[in-house]
This record gives sequence, C-alpha cells and structure tokens, in this order.
Amino acid sequence: MYVVVVYDTLAERNPKILRTCRKYLHHVQRSVFEGHLSDAQLRRFQSNVESVLDLSYDNVLVYTFPPGATPQRLEWGAVEPAPSDIL
Amino acid sequence: MPAAARTYWLTSPCRIRRKDESLIIERDNADNVHIPVTDVRDIVACAETDLNTAVVSLLNRHRINVHLLSYYGDYAGSLLTSDTSTSGETVLAQARAAQDPQAGLAIARSIVDACAFNVRRVVDRKLLTRPYAVLQASVKTSTNQAQLMGAEGTFRRSAWEVMDTKLPDWLQLAGRSRRPPKNVGNAFISYVNGITYARVLTAVRLTPLHSGIAFLHGTMERQRHSLVLDLSEMFKPLMAERLLLRMSRRNQLKEHHFDRDTNQAMLSDAGRKLVVQTVRDEFAVTVAHRSLNRNVAYDELLYLEALALTRHCLEGTTYKPFRIWW
Repeated sequence: MYVVVVYDTLAERNPKILRTCRKYLHHVQRSVFEGHLSDAQLRRFQSNVESVLDLSYDNVLVYTFPPGATPQRLEWGAVEPAPSDIL
Repeated sequence: MPAAARTYWLTSPCRIRRKDESLIIERDNADNVHIPVTDVRDIVACAETDLNTAVVSLLNRHRINVHLLSYYGDYAGSLLTSDTSTSGETVLAQARAAQDPQAGLAIARSIVDACAFNVRRVVDRKLLTRPYAVLQASVKTSTNQAQLMGAEGTFRRSAWEVMDTKLPDWLQLAGRSRRPPKNVGNAFISYVNGITYARVLTAVRLTPLHSGIAFLHGTMERQRHSLVLDLSEMFKPLMAERLLLRMSRRNQLKEHHFDRDTNQAMLSDAGRKLVVQTVRDEFAVTVAHRSLNRNVAYDELLYLEALALTRHCLEGTTYKPFRIWW
C-alpha cells in the first residue's frame, strides 16, 4: 500500500527518526516521507519508530492508501522530484 | 517475489554508499539520492558503479542482487547474495536430468522450438512460416546440443533478415554482431538482452536451481550462468525484438540516442535512459495467466519459468517452455 508519513518530534530526536524512516521510505520534505510498504513492512516500521520516540511528546502521522492506489500529488515551489526507480 | 519492492536502475555513473542502514546514491552531475533498502528488490547498474564492503554486507542482509552491465551494454557480472534457498536434492535432480541424454535433449529441443516460436510470433508470422517449419524438422532429427544451436542459428538469421525489412535504414541490423555491436540496431538488441539476462538470473536465484547446470548451452564451457542463458532464450524476443520494432514504428528512437563510431555503436546517455525506462515499464505489463487464473506481470513470468523447471526436475511434470500465448 502507498504510505505518507509525517512526523513532529523534539529537535534532538529528529535525526534518529529521520534515519529510521530512510530505511523504509523516500524523503520528500524535511519531515515528510512516502513510498510503498507491505503490511509486514508497515508493522516493522511502526515498532522501529516507536522504539526511538518519546510517546508523551512526539507525534507521527501515517496516511495509508488502499493497495493499487497511488495518491495524486499537486506541487508548488522548489519541489523534490517524485521518488523514481531510474537514477 | 517480494511484492512491495522494486528494481532500481542506475543509468548514470555513480557510487553506492551505505548511510543510516540504508543506501545513498552519489552522482557527479546530480544530487545524492537516498533510497530505502526495504524498497529494493534488485539493482541493475547500466553505468559505471562503485561500491564497497559496507554496502555489500547491507545488500547481503537484505538479499539484494546487483547486476552490472558493461560500457557496451552487455552483461558484465553480478554481485549475488549468498545462496538463500539451497536444496541439494533439487540440484542433484537437475544434474541427473541434464546428464541423461534423452531427458536433457528433450528439454533443449523444446527450448529451441519455443524460442523460435516466440521470434516468429514477434517478428512476422507469415514470412517466417517456412523457416519455422525447417527448424522444427531439424529439431526433430538433431541428436546433440550443437546441432540444435546450429538449427536455431539458421532460423535466427532468416528472422534478422525479415526484421531488417521492417526497420528504417539507419536502424537495420545487417546480421547480428556483438562485443561490440557493429551498428545501432545491434546495440539496442544487446542492451535489452543484457537486462533480460540479469532479470532471469534474479529469478533463478529465488529457486534452488543451480545456475551453472544447463540443458541447451554447454554446462561447463563458460564462466557464465548457462542455465540463465537457456531460460532467457525464450524471453529475449519478447523484450528485445518486440521493443525494437515497436519503438522504431513509433519513431521513438532518434539518432541522438546512439553514439556511433566507424565499426561500433552504443546507446548514448539519453538513449540508455529511454531504453531502461521502456524496458522497466514493459516488465510491469500484465497478462491474464491461463492456469493461475490471475494477472501476471512479465517480470513474474521469468520466476514462473524457473519454478516450472524446478518442478520438472523434482516431480517429473513435463516442462513446457514459455510461449507467447496472447
């Protein structure tokens, strides 16, 4: 399924969560990630993220889209190109 | 095959580094790109690529193969992860089948026949009717692998000639030439064949088959994965010949997609990107599979083919090589 992850954490924990997200998803904005994950990968991602967060302060939002659907993206400004598999 | 993972294609010179337990691609002429390891099924490096031990151990942990294509676009080699699905029983059964002159030859025959069938289906059904009949006759009478390869060569030659009648002058093949390809048409075919070979290797590595024990190509002769040569034979026309004809009909290939010298040709950077994009999209095309009752991507056909051969070796079901059925 397609997943968009947005996080809001204490500045000192930012690098940690950034590193965890990079393992699973494409970095599209300072605190926004997106990409395809399987159910199992999403669960693994969730437990990895939980282990680095302070759950009483930090906050992570995960938007999931049903399998087969890729959300339309409207873009303004200096945009990071959409993640591609041809580099 | 893992569902939520993609093949990554590297089309410009780059260095792969490990960063944060994930991969980062460094390029001279563009920004660095982070790619998530869990999203990678395998990597096809179509341009010069550097990597180091740290990367290799990470790739190995995530079971990712890297395939390298040379400067001229033919297959240069692979970094393969250590064997995952080892099964001595399968390898022994495969070796037994390959050594048995009757059984081995039967497989080789059906491979040659299926390959020619696919070429004819893709290039021109009518004009290749006679060469195909000739091939079928000589397949029946041939008693060893060399004769089979000879028959295939003869058929292929007439197929290349028919191809030339459908291509514009500048794209014509004028006979197959490799290492390096002599003209632009050959450069295209070589390139796509190299990619197909690499993808079949990935598929074979997902099964317990030994990639060195082959049925049609000489088993011990070369340091190549002979079994992969056998299996990719049927898929080459589906990708290379078909895409060349299609792209020339649609006028997608232009002079600037190739770098030409007096007696050799290769894809330029722009051309490489275009071809890789086309091939990538083509591998994702799905067809309705008749016995599985669901849609199957071309990509997965390679894997199903390797599975079918495994089943043949282990269970003795007759192996029917892939034929284009749609």
